[in-house]
This record gives sequence, structure tokens and C-alpha cells, in this order.
Amino acid sequence: MSQLKILPAEESHIEQMMALELECFGRDAWTEESMRFEALADHTRYFVLLDGEKVRGYAGLSKLPASHQADVQTIAVDPQLRGQGYGRKLMDRLVSEARNLGASEIFLEVRADNSVAQGLYASMGFEHIDTRKRYYQPDDVDAWVMRAALAAETKSQPVVLGIESSCDETGIGIVRGSTLLANVISSSMDQHARFGGVVPEIAARAHLEALQPTLIQALHDAKLSMDDIDAIAVTNGPGLAGALMVGVGAAKALAVASGKPIYAVNHLVGHVGVDVLEGELELPTIALLVSGGHTSLLLVRDLLDDVTLLGETIDDAAGEAFDKVARLLGLGYPGGPSIDIAAKTGDPKAIRFPRGLTLPKDMEKHRYDFSFSGLKTAVARWVEVAEARGEAFSVADVAASFREAVADVLTAKAVAACNDHGVKRLLLGGGVVANARLRELATERCKANDIELRIPELKLCTDNGAMIAALGAQLVMAGRAPSSLDFGVDSTLSVETVYTR
Amino acid sequence: MSLILAIDTSFGTSVALVENGKLLAEHNVLDTMKHAELIGSAITDVLARAGVKPNQVGAVVAGRGPAPFTGLRVGLAAATMFAAGVGIKLYGAVSLDAIALAALPAVDVSKDAPLLVTADARRKEVYWALYSGINAQGEPIRVDGPGVLKPAELEDYLVNRNVHPIRTDIAISAASLAFLLEAQLRSGNASQEVGALYLRAADAVEPKARIGKAVSG
Repeated sequence: MSQLKILPAEESHIEQMMALELECFGRDAWTEESMRFEALADHTRYFVLLDGEKVRGYAGLSKLPASHQADVQTIAVDPQLRGQGYGRKLMDRLVSEARNLGASEIFLEVRADNSVAQGLYASMGFEHIDTRKRYYQPDDVDAWVMRAALAAETKSQPVVLGIESSCDETGIGIVRGSTLLANVISSSMDQHARFGGVVPEIAARAHLEALQPTLIQALHDAKLSMDDIDAIAVTNGPGLAGALMVGVGAAKALAVASGKPIYAVNHLVGHVGVDVLEGELELPTIALLVSGGHTSLLLVRDLLDDVTLLGETIDDAAGEAFDKVARLLGLGYPGGPSIDIAAKTGDPKAIRFPRGLTLPKDMEKHRYDFSFSGLKTAVARWVEVAEARGEAFSVADVAASFREAVADVLTAKAVAACNDHGVKRLLLGGGVVANARLRELATERCKANDIELRIPELKLCTDNGAMIAALGAQLVMAGRAPSSLDFGVDSTLSVETVYTR
Repeated sequence: MSLILAIDTSFGTSVALVENGKLLAEHNVLDTMKHAELIGSAITDVLARAGVKPNQVGAVVAGRGPAPFTGLRVGLAAATMFAAGVGIKLYGAVSLDAIALAALPAVDVSKDAPLLVTADARRKEVYWALYSGINAQGEPIRVDGPGVLKPAELEDYLVNRNVHPIRTDIAISAASLAFLLEAQLRSGNASQEVGALYLRAADAVEPKARIGKAVSG
């Protein structure tokens, strides 16, 4: 038999859920209309037990945003699969979901004559607290109301709302401990396209307009209200000063309005800390952060206390180089994706573009630093020369060769850092991680050097509020004192300042 | 009418709490560079001094400028999130109108001699607006502006229209902004539009643009 999975219920499952509902509950069964409404409502979470495409069970929970109580609305398992622990698995999922939604207690009703189910619930910590006489009709059977407390376990898992506005993405994310609850990103990228790069004033204006809708959407996605938030975290640097100030002003007012502590956190460390949302962040690790604004190589021994900058770009960020070369080649903005597409049919070895700061004399002083300005100029010169000679050339070859030069130098230096420091882990972060060749080359070289490579999901690699919330939650869980309300923004904040008191 | 929290960062950082025409507390710092640093403590301070909890505030009003962009946005962002955080209404008002409201009672204005309110727009320019008096609901009557001009251009503009304005150097205060909102709520003119009044496009030039200057100002 194939592996059974528990996944969120979708519209396409309703028909099969109804078939099972009728089979399990007979004349007590819900109508299809009720099932569709409850399973897909905003205030509920329904899950299906899937055997390939086939629904073999389901369970649903209701939790109103401002309430601390969750209710198990229904649970059903295919009669042929009973007694194999699937009911417990579905219940476990509901309980953990109730906890994620901020419930402190969970209730259910069960037939007084169903001792098998009562036994299961009792073993999971539910207690019989009340009896509703003759609740199930026409069978005339009482209902037991059972309750389990979740409070003790939720305390150590603070709900943190994070606000990110350091560049062109307005991000608001919500986490509970190390669990992602919401990650909403509003990007002003399209407004910058005709300028070929991020325009700070346009980014700042867009942040201001995006704040309120992004907050509402994040709370909606997490199914929480501001009352459920335990702390606010915000990026206070590094980044564009005017853009950072919008997020900081917003976060401070939100903290005062909700009476919650605030944590001013480092954007770059957020890119590292986000990995806790995808399982254990294993340390020490080397981290390579590559975006339109940053190209940094870090040694992280401890997320909160020991982050060292090994090197960074001395001129353009890698993402900036992609944008500029894309413009030069008449490709679209942002440059990363458009060069990726153009490079597909190109030969990466067609042109040997320079690898910045890799010559022996540079390696002495700049072993872990990067430079992409010379590379960009080299591409421009090469194109100019070709055009002056009236030679036809392949844009695909230029794009592929340029991309190869960037990916080569990034991964070579990152792998060298791992080997030099005896740290056999590499974490990638930043928007340029979307680049296919960078990921491919990193995978290849890490494998050859016996380095464990971690690449978070792309939505967590680009700038986002969830990474800020995740780092904030780590600070709360470590018992760190919140920031004072008087911190400012620092556009060149050192990566070694994990958070500003 | 309820408790109003007013936030204005069109010049310094100014925050006030007003209830039924009465100022409960105000916090003013004239520094024009430290809005992001000061805004949180400024709000906390007025709430504490008035003995008011955030959830007792009934509405928020934000000063929309016109004003230098970076500082202005801090107040607008804070007002937006305070209102969203508590779940109360957010209003916006023109900061120059609040200055006019404070200045008009002390001056004798006429058609040819309205009140001129100006504010520094940086880059050797000023934001300006003209007011002819206060209406029956207690709102300032803006007859021209807001606009942005170099001082000499503004003088030419006024002379050409045969306007000899009375000038004021009263500074913006969040208290005036709150009183302005109270008048607007009475008259039904209160606005929930809170967009910043920039009056200038963002500075940005399209690469290899062949259309000359991409933006004005």
C-alpha cells in the first residue's frame, strides 16, 4: 500500500469527503452544502487523509480569530482502515493546528456510547467535562463534551509578527516559535522596471501604501488577531534608509497600540535565521547571501551571539550586476530571471569573462570579498567591440558566460570559506538564489567537497517578513530583552549586530 | 465625540491626544531628522500623560503634509499601524490646514490679504497654501494650494494675482491637527484618505531615456 498523507482539504476533495461522510454517519451526515462551507471556511482548518488521490479520512477544526478555544467539528476514517492509528494521526494534526492558531484549549463532542473514540481522546489528554443529555437524535444518545488544555505548550512558542521594508518588498510574516503561519509580500518591483533598478523613493512610497493591506492579509492568513501576537520584530538595517524608516515607524506604532514588546533585528541575519522555519538550523554554518542589495559571506557559529562577516562585495551586489548586464543585452528587469532564460541555450564557456578578486594578489587581501563591477564592464566592452566590428554575436552565449562567471566566483569563495573554517555546511539566502545556475553549481561543488547545502524555499530566500519574525521569535525564546522604543535605522548596519537593544 | 490621537511628522515629531475640543497631552520635538527614532516614545508619552490606554482611543488622524517625504512617511506609517493595531478609524488631513486653523483666529484676513502658510520643502523650495478665514463649522477655508514653488516664484505668483498675504510662523502641532479633524467630523468633511502629499514625482531617471527630463521638480 502506498504511503498515506495528511494534507489540507481542498474543493476537489469535497465529493469524496461526502461519500465517506454518508458511509460513516448515515442519517446524521451533513449535507454537501454544509460540508463545503465548513471545510473551506476562513475560521476552520480541514485535513484529508489521502491514499494517492483517494480520500480515506478527514477531520476538521473550528477556531475563531479572537477566541482561545478550538472545536473539533468532525473526524471520519474509512471503515476499512480503522484500528490502524489513522484517527489518532488526524487528531494529532488538529491539536497541533489548534496550537498554531493560538488556541489554549480544544473541545469536542463524542457519543456517550462510543467508548473506542472516548479512549482515544482520553489518551490524548482530553477530559470528560460535561454531558449533553439526549444530544444525538433520533438515537436518543447523550453527548460527552471533552476538553484538553493546550496552554502549557503554547507559552514556549511565542507568536511574533515581523515587518520587513529594507528594499523593494514590503513583507509581513507571522511565526509561532519556529512554525510559519503567514508570509505576505507586496513587491514594488514592477514600478522599478523601467528604471532598470530599485529607485529608493519609489520603494519607500510603495511601502507606505502596502503596509495596511499587507498586515490585514498576514493576520488573515494566520487566522489570528492582533490580540494573539506576543511580540513585534522589524528590520532596522542594513538597507535603504527611507524604506527602513517606513517599516520602523509602522512597527513601533503597532507595538505601542498592541502593548507588545518590539525587537529591532538585522536583515542579513534574518536571511540566515529563516532556516529555522524549514527544520533545525544546524550550526556552525557558512552563509552566502546574494541579492540586489547584498553579496555577503558569513560565518555563523551562533544565530544570536556569534555571526561574523567573512567578506562582502566591494562594489556592486551580484543582483545589481545581473540587472545591469540584462539592460545592456536588452533583456528584461529584474535581470536574474531574464538572464537565466536567455542563458538556457547559450554556451557558458563561449567567453571567458573575468572572475573578480580571484587573482593570487587579490586573494591575499580579499579572500572572501566579491567584485562585480569589473565583470559588468568587461561584458559591456565585449559587446561594444563586437558591435563596432559589425559582428553578429549570440546574446545567449554572452548571458550564459556572464552567469557562469558570477556563479563560479560566488560558489568558489563560499566553498573555500567552508573548507578553510572546517565548517561543512553552506546556507544560501537572498533573491539571487532563484538563479538556476547558481543553485546547480552550488549543489555540484558542495557535493564534491562533502558540504551539506541548505537552500530555503524561494519565498523564504527573497526579502520577506517571515524571516524577521523567525529571528524575533528566536530572541524571545532565548529570553532576550526587547529593544527600547528609541532605536533608529542604520542603512549600513553591521551583520555582527544581530539585534539593536 | 471620542478621543483622537493625532500624529504629524511634516516638520518635527508631534503627537497629541484631544477629547471634545480639549487637549489632554501633546509631545513635540522639533528635530527634523529623527522621526523614526522618536515616534514610538512620543505616542507612548502622550498616552501615559493622559492616562489613556491604546484601546480607549477612538480615532487616529495623520498629517499628510505636504512635507519632506522621508520624515512625513514615518508619521503616516505610524498612524496607519496604530489604527490598524487597535482596530479604529484612520483619518488624514492637510498639515498646512492645521497650521492655518491655529493661526487664523489671531489675524484679520480679507479677500486680497489672505493668510499664507508655508513650510520648508527642501531644495530651496516651499510648500504653500492660502486661506480666507474660518467657516461656520470651524474649518479653515483654503482658497489656493497646496503647491510647491521657489520662494521668488511664490512671490511673483502672489503679486501677479494682486494678493498681499498675511504671513504666519506658527509651527505645525498635532493638537491643531486633532482640532481640525473635530471640525471636519462635525461638518461631515473628514477624510479617510491618508496618502502622503508629495507634490513632486520621485527622482528617478530612466536609463538611456530619450524623452529628456523624466520627472519634474
